[in-house]
Amino acid sequence: MAFLDRTARSFLLAELVKGLGLTFSYMFKPRATINYPYEKGPLSPRFRGEHALRRYANGEERCIACKLCEAICPAQAITIEAEPREDGSRRTTRYDIDMTKCIYCGFCQEACPVDAIVEGPNFEYAAETREELYYNKDKLLANGDRWEAEIASNLAADAPYR
Amino acid sequence: MLMFWNGYALPTVIIVAQVVAIVVPLMLAVAYLTYAERKVLAAMQLRMGPNVVGWWGLLQPIADGLKLLTKETVIPSGANRLLFVAAPMLSFILALVAWAVIPFSAGMVLANINVGVLYLFAISSLGVYGIVVAGWASNSKYAFLGALRSAAQMVSYEVSIGFVIVTVIMCAGSMNLSKIVEAQKHVWFFIPLFPMFIVFFISGLAETNRTPFDLAEGESELVAGYFVEYSSMTFALFYLGEYANMILISAMTAVLFLGGWLPPIDIAPLNWIPGPVWFALKIAVGLFFFLWARATLPRYRYDQLMRLGWKVFLPFSLLWVALTAGVLVYGGLV
Amino acid sequence: MPKLTIDGKLIEVEAGLTVLQACERAGVEIPRFCYHERLSIAGNCRMCLVEQERAPKPIASCAMPVMDNMVIKTDTEMVRKARRGVMEFLLINHPLDCPICDQGGECDLQDQAMAYGFGRSRYDENKRAVADKYMGPLIKTIMTRCIHCTRCIRFATEVAGVEEMGALGRGEHMVVTTYLEKALASEMSANVIDLCPVGALTSKPYAFEARPWELRKTESVDVMDAVGSAIRVDTRGREVMRVLPRLNEDVNEEWISDKTRYACDGLTRQRLDVPYLRKDGALRPMSWNDALKAAADRLKAAPGDRIAALAGDLSDAESMFALKELMTALGSPHVECRQDGAFLPADSRAGYLFNTTIVGIERADVCLLVGANPRWEAAIVNTRLRKRHLMGGFTVAAIGPALDLTFPVQMLGDGPKALAQIAAGTHPFSQKLKDAKAPMIVLGQGALARPDGAAVYAAARKLGELCQREGWNGFNVLHTAAARVGGLDLGLVPTGKLKDVNAILDAAASGALDVVYLLGADEIDMDRLGKVFVIYQGHHGDRGAHRADLILPGAAYTEKNGIYVNTEGRAQLAKLASAPPGEAREDWKILRALSEAAGKTLPYDTLADLRGALVKAHPGFARIGDVTPSSLGSYSGPAGSAMDAPFAHPIANFYMTDPISRASLTMSHCTEVFLNARAAKTGTHG
Repeated sequence: MAFLDRTARSFLLAELVKGLGLTFSYMFKPRATINYPYEKGPLSPRFRGEHALRRYANGEERCIACKLCEAICPAQAITIEAEPREDGSRRTTRYDIDMTKCIYCGFCQEACPVDAIVEGPNFEYAAETREELYYNKDKLLANGDRWEAEIASNLAADAPYR
Repeated sequence: MLMFWNGYALPTVIIVAQVVAIVVPLMLAVAYLTYAERKVLAAMQLRMGPNVVGWWGLLQPIADGLKLLTKETVIPSGANRLLFVAAPMLSFILALVAWAVIPFSAGMVLANINVGVLYLFAISSLGVYGIVVAGWASNSKYAFLGALRSAAQMVSYEVSIGFVIVTVIMCAGSMNLSKIVEAQKHVWFFIPLFPMFIVFFISGLAETNRTPFDLAEGESELVAGYFVEYSSMTFALFYLGEYANMILISAMTAVLFLGGWLPPIDIAPLNWIPGPVWFALKIAVGLFFFLWARATLPRYRYDQLMRLGWKVFLPFSLLWVALTAGVLVYGGLV
Repeated sequence: MPKLTIDGKLIEVEAGLTVLQACERAGVEIPRFCYHERLSIAGNCRMCLVEQERAPKPIASCAMPVMDNMVIKTDTEMVRKARRGVMEFLLINHPLDCPICDQGGECDLQDQAMAYGFGRSRYDENKRAVADKYMGPLIKTIMTRCIHCTRCIRFATEVAGVEEMGALGRGEHMVVTTYLEKALASEMSANVIDLCPVGALTSKPYAFEARPWELRKTESVDVMDAVGSAIRVDTRGREVMRVLPRLNEDVNEEWISDKTRYACDGLTRQRLDVPYLRKDGALRPMSWNDALKAAADRLKAAPGDRIAALAGDLSDAESMFALKELMTALGSPHVECRQDGAFLPADSRAGYLFNTTIVGIERADVCLLVGANPRWEAAIVNTRLRKRHLMGGFTVAAIGPALDLTFPVQMLGDGPKALAQIAAGTHPFSQKLKDAKAPMIVLGQGALARPDGAAVYAAARKLGELCQREGWNGFNVLHTAAARVGGLDLGLVPTGKLKDVNAILDAAASGALDVVYLLGADEIDMDRLGKVFVIYQGHHGDRGAHRADLILPGAAYTEKNGIYVNTEGRAQLAKLASAPPGEAREDWKILRALSEAAGKTLPYDTLADLRGALVKAHPGFARIGDVTPSSLGSYSGPAGSAMDAPFAHPIANFYMTDPISRASLTMSHCTEVFLNARAAKTGTHG
């Protein structure tokens, strides 16, 4: 009986028909994708996108050149050089991130004691050349200025869980 | 002069006009078949499909064509230049030439020959040459292997297609395609010959190298099969040829099994609709099945493909040839 | 010998040890901040609390002498609680600014807070803030971080011998400061940076430059003076970021002088990185091949006795050996390593060594300094002398100009006359030398680098013979050049008719020489070289390079592997910490390449081959780190007559004695602050 059953099934292409039925039924389901450049999906406050160096409200840059991010970076994408500024405070003279090396693990922002380096919500920074992805301090600070509102609200949203 | 005009020039002009009248809509259909394929696949995979170029992405095929046109034709250094360029042309021309015998409606056929089925069969067999030549001329191991696979596959399935067509011819009692259609006035052949219809359609998938039998171009192992080295317009010709072949197989399905231009039931208001529309609708349904199969089925392994062709379809269709013949003879239907 | 139990382990230690030291013998680590082996015991940080059986409360182990039958427990809840409590109190006023603190990553407080601390703070009130103090160009202060361990105060008072640091106020108002906020005037001042267990005292030139985890550490020896202090060279990339002391009980204990520590920034300035040839009065860069060919052409064209070579004060033994071999091959007998013209015969090894050894100073009871200023010529030796002075029963006398050595010195005269009197036994001090159990005489370069050096040397040798005891050699020559003893060991003294550097310079001026080869020799008077063709091989654009007609860029001491022999005769290895800049090459390689260009190929292709040849010729160089005692025979060399002129010290500026320190920005700051400013100030200033 089982043999007959199996043979009948195979000759009647039961599995094939079932499979076709499944795909056909999917035609009428709502779309899972969104119309990306015009619509965008929601981002978690913890989303790790393009890096930015933040400033304090008075315009003073946060980074104090402690080099913890450089030390923890598993891809060794960060290069920092520091020296005392004229007022004697510790500041970087160079803060480079090689975005082509970066693996977006977020360790740098976890290591940062002053929330200076953060991975912001921006993920649309594709470039045509590699050189454009070697970020220097100016670029990172500009990113920080541009995304500060979003970054600050994301940090605030995530703060209760830290 | 008048004799020349009436005897040669005018028929030539008329034939050219007819050819153009077939080829241009066909090319448009091919273009929009690619669009339809992407949309149907997208729908079955819960995606959007092309929607940026034009309204609902309707201009996408045009954009793709323009893109291909403006690209550089790269000819590999070790390739046989002549054959390398000739192969896609051969492929493309064969895909078009077959349309000469397809009847779009009663009397609407370019060449109403009595051996239309044989002509079709011969033309589709020639398609293998385009592929073998392309694979060999590319001087690339991937293209070569892909071409060998394709050739073997197409040859294998042509055998069972041949037997399927034999059953249809037996039922219709003619090899003229228009006659075959007219023979289905009362009942479309897919009802009595349903298993043959299935075998024909599946073999058609294999014949056109479509999923689940697209292992000639198996991306993961052969990169793109026999046309891996092709680019720009040469690539476009292969592409057009392949899709034109799909439409051709659908048209053959419609002619052989689905009653060609005939309405399902010959009553008003169905018979108010002109024949070519019915024909186009049937082709569209066939094409939808092509796309549907692609969205549903994974690729066959090569040995499975061969087994299916030689050890399942061939004996099965043979059996049905005998069975049909028996029924026709002893059922007194001849 | 008291026996005590530490964590259930019975051990026996010498009497007089503290419980903390006994714990260390037992292999138990006790956290501490104020306690330091080489400083007096303060007992004010309370971090070293341990539990003693039958004691009502935890005891400070650093200050508690061991007693028989003590039972010490270091791993009980009581001890842990005490440590947590102490750490919490220490952190009350310590700012949590580790990210901007240069000590971060190598901070005792950080490490011990992690290991023994409480983990969080219960302190909500405001932390105190302390104004930073000025401590000179070397020490940066962030006094808010100070935990009042007083190590720096004790170091300045005891080891450095400058009582310029102290604490004002008490309790929370205690402030560590230099009196009147002056720069800490000691050659050893920067050691307080290493001593400071927190980031209160950090290095000013190194401020914010690098983090400890970025640095590659290379153990090497110092060449800024002839002491050969053990150092650790920290490099980041190609650049030497800092120099730190390394423990070597026989030489520098764990101190180094400020010059040793801070001259390293001179390694990046004024460097020679391509060969140069002088054309039409200006130096023009050129390729190595052309430079070597130009040098070889000059050397081949000149007859052997018209060539002379001078080895500088920073040369390693290998390159000096190669130089000597090359000159011998070229037929030149004029190879000189005593570029200051000091009279030092190379025949008897004991005659030019610091035979007592630096560690031996601690056994001496009388010391006579002849024309030496150990504080500037060898600050580490001076520190040992002070250490011996603090132990008591030690008399130091000196012949020469007035000295401030951080301990009392009896002045016996200022020139050869006083020396002759003592040697002849007509001076009251000679009796003291005779009676002493372990007398030592330290002969400085100021007494030898004079026209009458031979006479002074002869008198000193005679006095040295008086200082011989059983197992004790009291004759010492205090060198100032790191290469000097190595050069003398290798016999880099002229054997031809030109007897010393002055003769060579005179010959050069008079046209009796064609080529003078300077291997890093910068301390000679370049004007006396006349019109001779000068080939300068060295690493800095200093005096020699300015005069040179052809420059071959060499490697500084952090950029090559080389043997240096210190003033005691101790051969030590300097290691390569970073590659030489640009096209500069290791010195022995240059000499080897030059020998090939000159057609007198030296028979070694690798440093190992060269060392093999060197050790074969001079087996003493194989005993790295050891001193081979040698006995002082009687002296029969030239003497001549002494002059009346008083001795002068060879070093006018402690902070700038060689091409590296002259190129150093930090050293020029020090010169400005410690020497020029002080000289300019009179009693009415400030």
